Amino acid sequence: MSSSRTAGVLAGAALVAAVTGLIFLLRDHVPVLGLSVLYLLAVLPAAVLWGLADAVLVSVASMLTFNFFFLPPVHTLSLEDSSNWLALGVFLVTSIVVSELAARSRRRANESTLLAEIAASLLEQRDLSGDLDRIAAEAAPALQVERVSIVVGDDLPRSAGERHPLLTGGRRVGTIVLEQPRRGSAAARRRLLPALASLLGVAIDRERLAREALDAETLRRSDAAKTAILRAVSHDLRSPLMAILTSASALARTDLALDQDDQRELVATIRGEAERLDRVIGNLLDLSRLQAGAAQPEPEVWPVDELVTQALGRLGQPGGRVKVELPDEALAVRVDAQQIESVLVNLLENALKYSPEAEPVRVQLALTPDRVLVRIVDHGPGVASQDRERIFEPFQRAGGGARGAGLGLAIARGFAEANDATVWAESRPGQGATFVLALPAARV
Amino acid sequence: MSGARILVVDDERQILRALQTSLRGAGYEVETAETAETALAAAAMRPPEAVILDLVLPDGTGTEVVRELRTWSSAPVIVLSAVGDEHEKVAALDAGADDYVTKPVGIDELIARLRAALRRVTPSGEPVLTIGELELDLEKRELRVDGKPVHLTPHQFDLLRVLARNEGKLLTHRTILQEVWGPGYGSESNLLHVHVSQLRRKIEPDPTRPRYLLTEPGAGYRLVDPAGR
Repeated sequence: MSSSRTAGVLAGAALVAAVTGLIFLLRDHVPVLGLSVLYLLAVLPAAVLWGLADAVLVSVASMLTFNFFFLPPVHTLSLEDSSNWLALGVFLVTSIVVSELAARSRRRANESTLLAEIAASLLEQRDLSGDLDRIAAEAAPALQVERVSIVVGDDLPRSAGERHPLLTGGRRVGTIVLEQPRRGSAAARRRLLPALASLLGVAIDRERLAREALDAETLRRSDAAKTAILRAVSHDLRSPLMAILTSASALARTDLALDQDDQRELVATIRGEAERLDRVIGNLLDLSRLQAGAAQPEPEVWPVDELVTQALGRLGQPGGRVKVELPDEALAVRVDAQQIESVLVNLLENALKYSPEAEPVRVQLALTPDRVLVRIVDHGPGVASQDRERIFEPFQRAGGGARGAGLGLAIARGFAEANDATVWAESRPGQGATFVLALPAARV
Repeated sequence: MSGARILVVDDERQILRALQTSLRGAGYEVETAETAETALAAAAMRPPEAVILDLVLPDGTGTEVVRELRTWSSAPVIVLSAVGDEHEKVAALDAGADDYVTKPVGIDELIARLRAALRRVTPSGEPVLTIGELELDLEKRELRVDGKPVHLTPHQFDLLRVLARNEGKLLTHRTILQEVWGPGYGSESNLLHVHVSQLRRKIEPDPTRPRYLLTEPGAGYRLVDPAGR
């Protein structure tokens, strides 16, 4: 502050000296008293750049300098001709009035610039909350108060300061609080505040509208996701239902020529599909439990072939195509049996679904230092490398398409991870896929 | 037309097996396919007399199969659709499918539709079409209902003619509009709805409970013989 003040004083002195020099050059050609008006050239920049107080100082300094150098007796501050006092007085008054006008227009210009800047920054689509603090800081000197704060919302904030509402369409969207106004500064606020308040009101309201539009968009998207999920799930529920309905209605008709084998097959289809329907519903419940974090495993030590046997039991008749290659010794794992059986059922069902009907699905068991690996090998189309992770997400299936929810692999991974196990897919093009389940080994 | 060869296309093996057993029991000769590609290959190898076709297949849509099939075969195609497939269903019908059933469907309904589709023969050159109590003289452009002449506007007559020539077959809005109003039409469903309701007033004993001109919600219209259902 003091250094800029010093610089100001020096600049003022330099201006006065420059004008004085100019009058020296001109005084032989023009009546010297008329030249005193040239000091306005020093006063005006001071008024515009530093304000009224400094302009008055420059005016007084100019008057004294003019008296000292040009009015007889020169080199004194006294005057021979008393009418010169009047001339100096007129000069002083003129320069102060002009200074005041200049300073005022400077303030107005500053205020306009401030409003323009605020308007520009509010019009840029950004997060408003950071902007509001910056705008408050910028507006404080222009409003001639110590501190400005801008509060969003229709509540009246608690504050000792002057509180002005920010209104849009007659609704209060915020409040601007002015603390510790300077004396005699009410005029500045009267000028600036209405424009500032309506700018802020519009900006705050616009941000609210943008937020509401975003909310509506988010809602619409989650609706679209729900529709997709419902469609996928309804496919998974309807396919077994279709097979059941077709078989049952065929059995109910007396005019169809169905031999015993046909009837047995239709009955087997009804049973198998009813079980599949039950597994689909079980999977939906499992998935919601997994997503809610409510699938607490209860690990115990189990021989892994026992878990595979149980899983084959749950699969029912389609499990007949699964060939298990048992190792010589029993391999023990420490897992929640129910959950890992679910994993195996889903992996096996997936392998059976994608394998040609004539091909078996193989289950191979192996031991590494701390893991028991269950490998489920199918002869289906395989899994492309870019799909190898995606297929473990719910409602995803290799190759896209709208063919059902594909919850099985998502559930397999969910339960595997809950049991400190991992599951992944390996595949070579044209050679089918192998799903590997790595379970934590246990010492027996 | 028992003994007809039916091609059944669905990627769900269990559905395929149930349909195969049931339809065979009903006296049909059944071939099956699980993908669009194998379906088209099987149809080319031994042309079926009717096709039952799932809309969603692993390697494409039923609509694509219909479109391909229609380039050389006029065998009736019944589409198996599910709730949620409405757009695909209409696309398949527009592409030339004859009818649709919504999953899950019992075998009774399916056999009834299959029989109707197989019974439907390509329109003969006969100048007079008779459907129940309706007698449509194509040459004189006259309609008799229950023996009494009924006046129809030209559009109403053309609408009835198109539906009557395809008796029992589901025609989509687009198909009817293009047949009656011309190739520039296709999306003016309102126009069609208005004409259908006017036509019903003239041919139906009770226009609020139509027995001849039936609405298939979201798909189109079909004209049936009430006695034949």
